[in-house]
Amino acid sequence: MTRFPSTTAFRWSFAIALWTATASLILFAFIFWQTTSLERRENDETIERQLAYIAADPTEIVPRIQDWLGGGIHADRFAGYFAPDGRHLAGNITAIPSGLKRNGQVRDSTGPVSVSHSEPRDDLLCAALQRADGHVVVVALSDDDIERAKDAMIRTLGLALIPMILLSVIGGIVLSSRARRKLVATEGAVAAVMRGDLGQRLPAGAGRDEFDRLTANVNTMLDRIEILVDEVRSVGDAIAHDLRTPLTRLRARLERSRDEATSVEELRQAIDRGLEWLDQCLGLITAILRIGEIEHGRRRAGFRDVSLADCLTEAAEVYDPLAEAKRIRIDRAIDEGLPPIWGDRELLFEALANLIDNAVKFTPVGGRIHLSLRRYGDELEIGIDDNGAGIPLAERSHVFQRFYRAEPERHSRGNGLGLSLVAAVVALHDFTITLEDAVPTGCRFRIVCPLDGATGTARPRAGEPALVSAGVADQAEAPGS
Amino acid sequence: MGRLLLVEDDDETAEEVVGDLRRRGYEVERAATGPDGRAAAFAGGWNVIILDRLLPGCDGLSVLQDLRKAGDRTPALLLSALSDVDERIRGLRAGGDDYLTKPFALGELAARIEALLRRPVGAKEALLRLGTLELDLVSGRGRRGRRELDLLPRELKLLDYLMRRPGQVVTRAMLFEEVWNYRFVPKSNLIDVHIGRLRRKLEAAGEPPLIHSVRGLGFALMPDD
Repeated sequence: MTRFPSTTAFRWSFAIALWTATASLILFAFIFWQTTSLERRENDETIERQLAYIAADPTEIVPRIQDWLGGGIHADRFAGYFAPDGRHLAGNITAIPSGLKRNGQVRDSTGPVSVSHSEPRDDLLCAALQRADGHVVVVALSDDDIERAKDAMIRTLGLALIPMILLSVIGGIVLSSRARRKLVATEGAVAAVMRGDLGQRLPAGAGRDEFDRLTANVNTMLDRIEILVDEVRSVGDAIAHDLRTPLTRLRARLERSRDEATSVEELRQAIDRGLEWLDQCLGLITAILRIGEIEHGRRRAGFRDVSLADCLTEAAEVYDPLAEAKRIRIDRAIDEGLPPIWGDRELLFEALANLIDNAVKFTPVGGRIHLSLRRYGDELEIGIDDNGAGIPLAERSHVFQRFYRAEPERHSRGNGLGLSLVAAVVALHDFTITLEDAVPTGCRFRIVCPLDGATGTARPRAGEPALVSAGVADQAEAPGS
Repeated sequence: MGRLLLVEDDDETAEEVVGDLRRRGYEVERAATGPDGRAAAFAGGWNVIILDRLLPGCDGLSVLQDLRKAGDRTPALLLSALSDVDERIRGLRAGGDDYLTKPFALGELAARIEALLRRPVGAKEALLRLGTLELDLVSGRGRRGRRELDLLPRELKLLDYLMRRPGQVVTRAMLFEEVWNYRFVPKSNLIDVHIGRLRRKLEAAGEPPLIHSVRGLGFALMPDD
């Protein structure tokens, strides 16, 4: 784990504080510059206006100078009246400042200005005007105002900058430690998951920010992974169990026959029985491998245009004699002229055969199985109804899982993989299968096969690995049809 | 009988297969590696070549492809532990005549070799005769002696297949592949039920049986004279 000051969050908060301070400084500088130059312009105007006013009327020069000087409170006003020969006539400026153009324009004093009752001042804004009669009027204003304003602003800035930087650093620390706290909790949970505790979840935040959304997504992902791992685990257990049973029987039978068989014929019988059990094991393994192969979508090489009507008819025909033996009637209601779908003929046949096999198995003697294939808009719908006992609602979502067998069926033949294979084939084709109540009794498997509007075929997308439960929906309500 | 070449790397499997086939009267030679198998196959003189799909040294498929490129049409049966059905398609495309996935019953292998060795009877004929049995594929009518048989289309196909292979053992898997044209092992005793129904039609009360069951393997149609 990284030390706190070097965490990204802290570095970011520090950088933001620095950036805020810099930006504020620039802003202050701009305001400062704008303010002082405005004040400076105002002063210049005052001086120039006053100079023009004072110098306008020769008889009024002295009284106006007196007025001008009298108006200042802080002794910041200056003026001088000079004869053409430079002699001081009136005002508190005692000599014409050198280097000052006598055109009425303000200039920073280029040198010290001699004033009465004081040291020469070098901080004055001066303007001089030479009248037509040769007399010179000088008006000046101390720029103390501006300097004071400058000082005040710099002080204010200094005072404001320190708390501002402090504030942004504190804000940064608070924010980053909040993020840090979340992150530490998350890291802990992730570490637990990495150790193999898949039940662990990331702490969910109440907020709706990106981090909380990410957390929620990771949790959903963990939910899914947990389910899958559980599934794999229980499938593994089921395989082991289903293999152990016939193998145990086989072992016992071989042992007993070796000790007890008295004739070749007896041994042969034992071996035949043993071979049957072995075939059962091999069949189970083959079925598992096949389902895995189908689920991983590796069987698309056999995809071509397939007539579902033919597939369903042929599957039904294969089961006719078996159904007849049980006095079960297999009805067909197959629409004509249906477009082909894009799929694997053999796999579709196998899936349909499995469903019909299932239906024959669960329909009582003298019962009825109804097969249908219809087109509804852009979809073909296969229905396989039986009038057996049906499947309780609670068990429906399990029937497509590997090795699931409804309790009464647990002891019957079959490895519980038939419907898993159906689910895998359905998912491979991007179809969906639902299990519903048939009317009036029994259950109904309904497979919906989307047609691709333009070509009349559904071309499955490549890619995502099909899961056992993919494409399998659990329909709680009885069908409307 | 026939000369068979088995190209199989696993000693135990090879021993069982060779032993079984020799008992059945075949002359069998075994090659244990791809290069050996290739050399033996190209040497020629075989009636059927049994080729493992995965061999040390080279792929069984490439041996077969090279053989076919060289113009050799000796029937070839591919053995494979790969359950992937696309593998089978690939094997048949490479020039294989049949494909058997491990594990297999020895009887199944023997039945398939037999099928490869024997050409179906009357491949192009539309009227088949076997003993008192007669099948007219054009009209779709069958007769046993004078008795007219009422056959469903699928039963017709089934009988057609059997009559072209008289006395030959055909397994359930072979029937399903050839008659129904689907490759899968039905869970229930489906084939038996179909055969049973055909048998009832062929063998009326008192008539000698025509379709004989071969225990644990399949069926054979025997002529009745």
